[in-house]
Amino acid sequence: MQAEKKTVLHDFHVKQNAMMASFGGYDMPLWYPTGVKTEHLAVIRNAGIFDTSHMAVVTVRGEGARELLQNCLSKDMDRCIGLKKNALSDGRCVYGIFLNPDGTVIDDAIIYQLQPDAFMVVVNAAMGGIIAEHLQKSSDREGITIEDLTDRVGKMDIQGPDSAKILGEIIRNSDQLFEGLTYFSFKGGFGSCTTSTAVELNGGTKILVSRTGYTGEFGFELFVEIDKLQSLWEGLLKAGEEYGLVACGLASRDSLRAGAVLPLSHQDIGPWPFLFNPWQFALAWSDDGKSFSKDFIGADALLEENDCDHTLPFAGFDPRKIAAGDDTYVINDAGEKIGAILTCTTDMAIGRVDGEIIGLASEGDVPEGFKPKGLSCGFLLLDKHFAPGELVYLTDGKRKLKVEIREDVRPGRTARKPIKMMLT
Amino acid sequence: MKELSELNLPEDVRYTDDHEWATASGDTLKIGVSDYAQDQMGDIVFVEMPEVGDTFEKGDEFGTLESVKAVSELYLPVGGEIVAINEALEDGPELINEDPYTNWIVEIKPSDPAEIDQLLSVDAYREILKG
Repeated sequence: MQAEKKTVLHDFHVKQNAMMASFGGYDMPLWYPTGVKTEHLAVIRNAGIFDTSHMAVVTVRGEGARELLQNCLSKDMDRCIGLKKNALSDGRCVYGIFLNPDGTVIDDAIIYQLQPDAFMVVVNAAMGGIIAEHLQKSSDREGITIEDLTDRVGKMDIQGPDSAKILGEIIRNSDQLFEGLTYFSFKGGFGSCTTSTAVELNGGTKILVSRTGYTGEFGFELFVEIDKLQSLWEGLLKAGEEYGLVACGLASRDSLRAGAVLPLSHQDIGPWPFLFNPWQFALAWSDDGKSFSKDFIGADALLEENDCDHTLPFAGFDPRKIAAGDDTYVINDAGEKIGAILTCTTDMAIGRVDGEIIGLASEGDVPEGFKPKGLSCGFLLLDKHFAPGELVYLTDGKRKLKVEIREDVRPGRTARKPIKMMLT
Repeated sequence: MKELSELNLPEDVRYTDDHEWATASGDTLKIGVSDYAQDQMGDIVFVEMPEVGDTFEKGDEFGTLESVKAVSELYLPVGGEIVAINEALEDGPELINEDPYTNWIVEIKPSDPAEIDQLLSVDAYREILKG
């Protein structure tokens, strides 16, 4: 068995007495002694930082790099930015899926256009080598350089409504950075990943700041050279003290992203066709919704497929869960087995009031003194479509839990809020 | 995660290898989970408890604790009838994290008080935690 890998922040996690666990081959923090509920709520109310340096970065450069990625990615890079569906351009990034020819998932990714012929591909832990090899195999042109930077990039995320204020404290000319930094755009660079813009920390460290994240809340993913990550982490912790910033582990990352209806690769998307699921925005659908606007690996299989299982988000009626696993499953009213549980966690920032899901950050009618107890939520893989509002049951053979199929889960998410609003 | 030396392991309660504790008050027993159990589980968000009047054999599952990450079954250290449940946990499941010994989960009337003597002493429990 391969030894467990450690990120450069591992010492910090252990010194903080974090509960550690294996994830993607890395020994990672699940939560710190502050507790997962505090961490989850900090990201809703203030901000949290996450060690995400277990994730992998692959660069693709040279003439033909864009065409290669277009051929491999499920999303059309020529029609992906904004309502007008503009082409991916320098300083913009896009979410998509790398599929096998049969339409099943290799991994999901965010593609960053550094320069017209230079792209950074951010994939999940342990996937750097696999994606680099997949791209290499799919490339039929000379002159494209594909490099797997696994364990050579320092990556961390800051998420939550106060993220910009905190980040601004440690960035030189932060006004310039934040100007026009819309959702899924980025500025700056680090190491060999350079762009036409430069962003520096107060101490001069070069950084790439991306207006993205995996919590559904406002915030940034940050990239620096690996030997600079620890001082960035410590600098943000210090700058964030007065804002209530806390270090967050993978458990709160999981509960936040589940409430935001974001998939965990190899758990909610995986070895089944990427078709009937809530993430249709990751596919290159034409306006007619029946064909794709470009060809890509896996496209034909998806267009021919009409009988695969449906991935559907759900939310429960209280915090109770039935964990995903080999001995748990989903049943209908009649008690018939209809599918499997992919993810089941508790979003602690939401509760039900008269049946409606209300969140701490809901706009409008949040009852005075509202204290959410949390609701279970996650994803199910079912043998047919269920409409939002329909009820199904999770069971482990003994316990039986009623849950509601949902379109969305946690209301009032901040990820897409204009950055100006988050700086005042 | 707490080191063994940091765990609060009172000497006046008895333990099980499933990390429950029991302590006698008069002719009833209060049951809860150990500091080790709450620390391992992390934030507890829901406590599912039996009804008063339910009866269980020793080792029966009598409820569940839900943390954000997992669901853990609760097993009764001693057989008997549930005479009270800690209703404060319905609105405040985090009380178990705050003090797992003051915040008992159920109170039972043991059907065979001799079973209490079979439970683990603090020293025996600490040995189990050492692994």
